Amino acid sequence: MATGWRKLLETIVGPLDQKRRYRQYKARVERLPASYHTAIDALQRYSYYFGHGTTDGGLRMLEDLADLFEQGAANGTPVREIVGEDPVEFADEFLRNYPEGQWISRERDRLTSAMDRAVRENSGSEGTSR
Amino acid sequence: MAKLVTEMLKGTLEGIVLALLAGRPAYGYEITAWLREQGFSDIAEGTVYALLIRIEQRHLVDVEKIPSEKGPPRKVYSLNAQGRDYLEEFWRTWNFLRERLEQLREGGR
Repeated sequence: MATGWRKLLETIVGPLDQKRRYRQYKARVERLPASYHTAIDALQRYSYYFGHGTTDGGLRMLEDLADLFEQGAANGTPVREIVGEDPVEFADEFLRNYPEGQWISRERDRLTSAMDRAVRENSGSEGTSR
Repeated sequence: MAKLVTEMLKGTLEGIVLALLAGRPAYGYEITAWLREQGFSDIAEGTVYALLIRIEQRHLVDVEKIPSEKGPPRKVYSLNAQGRDYLEEFWRTWNFLRERLEQLREGGR
């Protein structure tokens, strides 16, 4: 009964567990010192471009980011030393760990299989080119 | 110079970190601090962290959460059997690369 109700609710508002995890992440960010807070918000914004939102992969990514910045704040590591001279490079490398649900992963798969197809077409028409 | 080091480090940082962990288990901050001591002063802590997540996902290390006096618990990484195999492969590849580069420098083929 309770699970049936929850299921119905989740089809309307989306998975509750993911909403809870996102709220927990936001609360952790709120507790960070201002400079770390600004940095993590910027990284989160950049990650939207990769488009996995609040899927499991996206949430794990945010939770790992919170771990990194909480650790940095606890050790007193300045933001620059966490993100490096080239924050884009750091962000891209970091985001590559969470390919599930990213539109770029779908495009990478599409490119790979299109090339496989192109190679097969070529071997099929060998000697008859032009 | 700094840029060149960064570029070259990209392909080898994984091996460097695995080699370090072969010596003893360590947590992220320690690893970054050690790399800085060794002269890799431009390395970002976040880059090391992203690498640690990657080698964890690939099951090359075991991870243990140890409570810390200040801040959140620390993740301590240690090399496992699969990681040791991978490290051996890294050194073989490194030797291959080093030999070829030496030959190039000496003008041979």
